Amino acid sequence: MNNTLLSLTISILFGIGTFLILRRDIVKVIIGLSILSHAVNLLIVSVGAFSGKDVPIITHDEVASTNTIFIDSLINGIFAPMLNGTNPTQYVDPLVQALVLTAIVISLATTAMIIILAYRIHEEYGTTDIHKLKRLWG
Amino acid sequence: MDPFRLVTLAVFLPFLLAATVPAVEKLIKHRIGWFASLVAFISFLLIINVVPLVIQGESFKASVEWLPSMGIEYSIYVDGLSILFGIIITVIGIIIMSYSNGYMSRKEDLPRYYQWLLLFMGSMLGLVFSANTIMMFIFWELTSITSFMLIGYWRNRPESVYGATKSLLVTASGGLFMLAGFIVLRSITGTFDITTILQNDTLIKTVHSHEFFLAALVLIFIGAASKSAQGPFYIWLPNAMEAPTPVSAFLHSATMVKAGIYLVARVHPIFSGTEAWFILVSGTGIITMLVAGFLAFRQTDIKALLAYSTISQLAYIMTMYGYTTYHQPGIGVAAATFHLLNHATFKACLFLVAGIVAHEAATRDITKLGGLRHEMPVTFIIASIGALSMAGVPPFNGFLSKEMFYESSIEMGHALGSPFTFIIPALAVAGGVFTFAYSIKFITAIFFGKRPEKGIPSHIHDPSVIMILPAAFLAGLIILFGLVPSIVVQNLVEPTASSIMMETQHLHVKMWHGFTSSLMMTLVTFMLGILIYTKYESIAEWQNSFNRKYPFISVNYVYDGLVNNARNTLKRFASFMQPGPVKAYVLALLVLTIILFAIPFLKLSTDLAPTLNFNLEPYEVLVLFFMIVAAVGAAVLPKYLQAVISLSALGYLVGLLFIYLSAPDLALTQVLVETLTTIIFVLAIVKIPQTFKEHISPSQFMKDALISVAIASVVFILLLSATQGIVSPFESLSYYFIENALPLAGGHNIVNVIIVDFRGYDTLGEIAVMCLAALGVYNLIHSRGESQ
Repeated sequence: MNNTLLSLTISILFGIGTFLILRRDIVKVIIGLSILSHAVNLLIVSVGAFSGKDVPIITHDEVASTNTIFIDSLINGIFAPMLNGTNPTQYVDPLVQALVLTAIVISLATTAMIIILAYRIHEEYGTTDIHKLKRLWG
Repeated sequence: MDPFRLVTLAVFLPFLLAATVPAVEKLIKHRIGWFASLVAFISFLLIINVVPLVIQGESFKASVEWLPSMGIEYSIYVDGLSILFGIIITVIGIIIMSYSNGYMSRKEDLPRYYQWLLLFMGSMLGLVFSANTIMMFIFWELTSITSFMLIGYWRNRPESVYGATKSLLVTASGGLFMLAGFIVLRSITGTFDITTILQNDTLIKTVHSHEFFLAALVLIFIGAASKSAQGPFYIWLPNAMEAPTPVSAFLHSATMVKAGIYLVARVHPIFSGTEAWFILVSGTGIITMLVAGFLAFRQTDIKALLAYSTISQLAYIMTMYGYTTYHQPGIGVAAATFHLLNHATFKACLFLVAGIVAHEAATRDITKLGGLRHEMPVTFIIASIGALSMAGVPPFNGFLSKEMFYESSIEMGHALGSPFTFIIPALAVAGGVFTFAYSIKFITAIFFGKRPEKGIPSHIHDPSVIMILPAAFLAGLIILFGLVPSIVVQNLVEPTASSIMMETQHLHVKMWHGFTSSLMMTLVTFMLGILIYTKYESIAEWQNSFNRKYPFISVNYVYDGLVNNARNTLKRFASFMQPGPVKAYVLALLVLTIILFAIPFLKLSTDLAPTLNFNLEPYEVLVLFFMIVAAVGAAVLPKYLQAVISLSALGYLVGLLFIYLSAPDLALTQVLVETLTTIIFVLAIVKIPQTFKEHISPSQFMKDALISVAIASVVFILLLSATQGIVSPFESLSYYFIENALPLAGGHNIVNVIIVDFRGYDTLGEIAVMCLAALGVYNLIHSRGESQ
């Protein structure tokens, strides 16, 4: 179950990020993109499929059973109950964490790239106003 | 080798060797042209090997499956018609590529030139040997594309670009009509294979009586007419003369423009013997022949004059292929085939002469030329042979086929009965008269009259042997075919006519066959031709004044109007779709996102009564509060450095939050990444002086705030609904990972196991992204060295 205050915070971050990427100052746009990527990461983590609370690290040696029936058939799998037993897992969803882990690292790469791009734009054109970069305007 | 392999090799050798041209050019420099002519010569040898088979009156077909479910296959059909074209293409190819060695300056981009020439030759050979209509279509469009590249060879001349675009628009879109025609034909006959239809009489009868007969015929004929510059489609050919002259000689007189003729001859057995065929093909042919012959008068550029004469001569051939009655489906086939061959010789020869004159006298304008016969005697003789052959003067080959044209016109006139008995031969003579007049003009304008004092170099002489020999060779062919026609008639024309008529044909072509009515027509042609020639200047002047008075009575006027209109519309469209400011694109995306989320929310809103959950520890609430403060700080702090520090604080808070969300790996990564990002950010930001301060007007602020609030609300509703009992259509993969992390991968940390084990390739991709980003950053920083 999601926490309402957390959801509210994430949406506020989205709002602030959106406002910033609509700016003309290229540095502000980059800051906006960073805020948006934080918000997206938090959003994905907070909507994991499980209601467990534990860190997804197996602390004992036996296999953790989820009592799940894996149905590989598309026809039977659709709208089939996800869980067989009534006892859900003890863990939080590990899959979303794995996704976000990748996303964080990729966002480092893209952020570094656009920061340097902004720096080079400033060097070439002497401005950080994206409205002054008009060569491709229709 | 069997014919299939020989022909396949002949078709694809130019394609393969075209790829090696740049490498070979490194080795042998400007002698690359000889390499290209060697390739053409090998293709010629390969095709010659198949000729004995065809002279025996046989045909050959073999195929390899390509897309069997669609009935598309790679199939080669060898018969008289394809062999005739194959020989014309390769022989003229050898001549042109040898001639280019003298014509093209060594400073030009020679590899590109010869590459496209070779590619064209391969496509053209593929076209004429195709048995499958889809394969034919592919090669057909390839010839259009290569022609486009060759016409636009001099890329920085606007006329070249205009001519290239025009030819591509007309011929390539004509090809699409042809494709539609082939598909209609397939819907009638059930096959894309043209030989299957040709060899099956009942199938041909089905085609004739089918309700889509006319649709198939008209569509295919539009393709043929656009390629062969017939009817209103003639407009592209004069502008195509912007190509280098050897290209004009090769593509736009001897081979590519004859692709349409080839198509008409190829489908002749399927459609001929009907009224529609006669009206469409001969009708278009006769009108084009007269109009183009007439319009040739006002041309002052020698190449333009030759272009109009090509259109008119192609129309002769088209007309003859169109002569048909129910009982005699192919009255003019033999004559057309012979004229096709002859036209390839004399027109290519004349183009080579035009190239020589332009090369030596540095102009192609006939008003600036004159009296060159003393200075260029050899060229003069060759030009006279070519032009007289075109005019239909004995003893050259043009005379023979012109006679046959008149004969078949008389025959067709008789077959139709009065009043056509007179009209058709009369129209044929009218076409001949125009031809005669401009052919004579071609010689007199360049070689006779007074030599102008100014405008041309003071010393003009015959060109080098490299340029004169190819033209002389063609002139020799003209005389040879004229004096001893039996050589080509028996070996090439008869098999071709037989393969078009689907039965053995015997022809008797002689220079002298008594005072026949066709000879009378020839004499009338000469007399009227001389008469018209004396009025040449006044006719040209009348045409010019007419054109000045009524500029809109012209196909070019319509074409330019259409193209400019399309261009302007697209320009408006593009400037609407790409206004420039990044903000416009972002706005479009955001608004679309809002709409895409809002619709399902509105539809499902009744089912989703969100349950609220404010169950948080006080320190968690504090973290959330500081996150918002940090984000607002990053947004509003005026100095870059302060804003970046505030952003960095937000990043660490997010890391803290990940701990509360039971995600220790994420928290660790987030802290490390945030540290790196902050360092990079600060390093870059201190070098960017803060000169720009955006002023946000209240209305602008309101608009942007509205969008932001809308996005925030959408996200909020999404998050509230996300875990509200929507049953996902699939099982979550997470269960699989939890159950198998330990037994399959032997890892306790499930997230780590997913990253490095189950989804190891994704991580590899991620590493690649990091490397690319690092390379990008490195190059961005180092690229400034060049500009300063």
